[in-house]
Amino acid sequence: MARANSTRFERLEQTIIVSSLLLMVVITVQPILNLLAVSFSDPAQVPSMSGLAVTPSGFSTDVWMLLLSHPGVQRGMLNSVFITVTGTILNVTFTALMAWALSRPRLPGRRILFVFVLATIVFEPGLIPDYFVVRELGLLNTYWAVILYKLVNAWYLIILIRFFEEVPGELLEAAELDGANAFQTLWKVVLPLTMPALATITLFYLVYHWNEFLRPMIYLTDSAMHPLQVVLRKFVLEGDKSSMVGVAAMTNYQGAGQISSRALNAGMIMLTILPILAVYPLILKFFTKGTMSGALKG
Amino acid sequence: MSLDEKQLAAHLSVIGNVPKTANLRTALGMKIRAWWPYYLMLLPGLVYFIVFHYYPIYQAKLAFEDFRIFGDNLWVGTKHFETLFDSRAFFQVLANTLIISAMKMAFVFPVPILLALLINEVRASGLRRFIQSAIYLPHFLSWVVIAGIFIAALSPSSGVVNEIRGWAGLSPRGFMTESGSIRWVVVFSEMWRSAGWDSLLYFAAIMAIDPQLYDAAEMDGANRWQKIINVTLPGITPTIATLFILNVGLFMNAGFDQVFNLANDAVRDQIDIIDTYVYRIGLQSGQFSLATAAGLFKGVIGMVLIVAAHTISKRLTGKGVW
Repeated sequence: MARANSTRFERLEQTIIVSSLLLMVVITVQPILNLLAVSFSDPAQVPSMSGLAVTPSGFSTDVWMLLLSHPGVQRGMLNSVFITVTGTILNVTFTALMAWALSRPRLPGRRILFVFVLATIVFEPGLIPDYFVVRELGLLNTYWAVILYKLVNAWYLIILIRFFEEVPGELLEAAELDGANAFQTLWKVVLPLTMPALATITLFYLVYHWNEFLRPMIYLTDSAMHPLQVVLRKFVLEGDKSSMVGVAAMTNYQGAGQISSRALNAGMIMLTILPILAVYPLILKFFTKGTMSGALKG
Repeated sequence: MSLDEKQLAAHLSVIGNVPKTANLRTALGMKIRAWWPYYLMLLPGLVYFIVFHYYPIYQAKLAFEDFRIFGDNLWVGTKHFETLFDSRAFFQVLANTLIISAMKMAFVFPVPILLALLINEVRASGLRRFIQSAIYLPHFLSWVVIAGIFIAALSPSSGVVNEIRGWAGLSPRGFMTESGSIRWVVVFSEMWRSAGWDSLLYFAAIMAIDPQLYDAAEMDGANRWQKIINVTLPGITPTIATLFILNVGLFMNAGFDQVFNLANDAVRDQIDIIDTYVYRIGLQSGQFSLATAAGLFKGVIGMVLIVAAHTISKRLTGKGVW
């Protein structure tokens, strides 16, 4: 009897736990789904739409058509893709090269080089000195100013070094005996063995570049060079609708007149999230699985 | 730069936290006479660190100079620091920085621990993975996007929060533009963004607890709560301690990206922090020297805090910040 009571009590506990977690899920996801729903709704019905709605009122792709056909948005997307792809390739290349060299336990000067890198994490002189350096190098208003910032992220570098150190010494030795040079050993032995770590770091650099808005805002004064985040910021936060959507685009697009700023904002936010949603399954795959197995092994 | 990155790194280090294989000492190095290929590989990275991290430290001398558009800057010693410490504005942003960090510490820090404990109680692995996948997501959104989402959700006319308040007969409030509520918007948006993702760290620590401990507790007749209090919580205490210390080390970073995007003229005095102040007086008003001085002040305090955090963490848990 007491036993049956405790199971019923346990079931109640379980229900409370699961429902409070599901409430968290709703709080996390609902605001995003609402914006998605608003962006695909019939523009005429948007003003009366509930903030709770997760399905479109009516259906229309007008908002997306307007945004995607707008030169400013197109430009922003191209800039974002260019900065993200170029930046990530350079990030991963130079982080991996540096990590490989620093993972060799007998590299002369290894300790000093570690301190040299760690010191940059500990002390950061701030935004203004960074700005003056970029200016002095003549990089203002070039994509390089944005791409080169955080070229090698010290934290990711340290993590990658740890992974490279785990590669069994015999494998490296065997590669050496086969006549492989330092580059070949890295390429043929170390990188294939550390793919999950490399993939994780690649994804984080990707997300970092895609999400970065401050440096482009500061370093790129020419708005034609601005990535999507900066366009979004001007659009949603600074409320710069007229120059963003532009009179030309407004009149070019039939029915644009009745599209509310609420719908445009929603569409613009969703457009900016889209690439993150696209790589999110990969992040979950590489990162959370890696974390779990690492924890289990440890 | 940001708190974020450092927390990401903390997450990443969980994966790297496997016991070292013993054969590191296998003397491959002995056979390589010339290390030059390795130095060649280091070169681009080192040049980057020198140019983008060490050169700015030299440039920070601007804090001790008057900025001139033409000709050399004029050395003025600690003038700008005196101006800074005499200004009420600076103490306001310093206070805001500390207040916001403290609020996040008090209200955001415990949430991921609680979440991890709750998630661990969900037995169905499919449901558990669904919950985790959903709550990790906001961590990967930019603060521009999150600010956009919050503006929409908190909108007095069409936002979901005011709609729900309406059911209770409460009149709509502009949470983003009221000075009484904006700091709570900062705290809550931080929770929305990072509580889920940070729970992963604690969850990994829970997974690492020896299952035999639970079996033993069960044999002793422990119920769910007794197991949580006597097995799970002690098991994750080192992780809690490490992260708490790390957070203290990053106390001066109250969240530039967040405040920068959530701020508006109506509430700026409530949430303007040192970082946003540096941006505003430096890059917007052109008071480069004063802004550099403020940034340098923050950098030095930050350095002391993070080094202290590292030392304390190393002594307490054997694991440092890096």
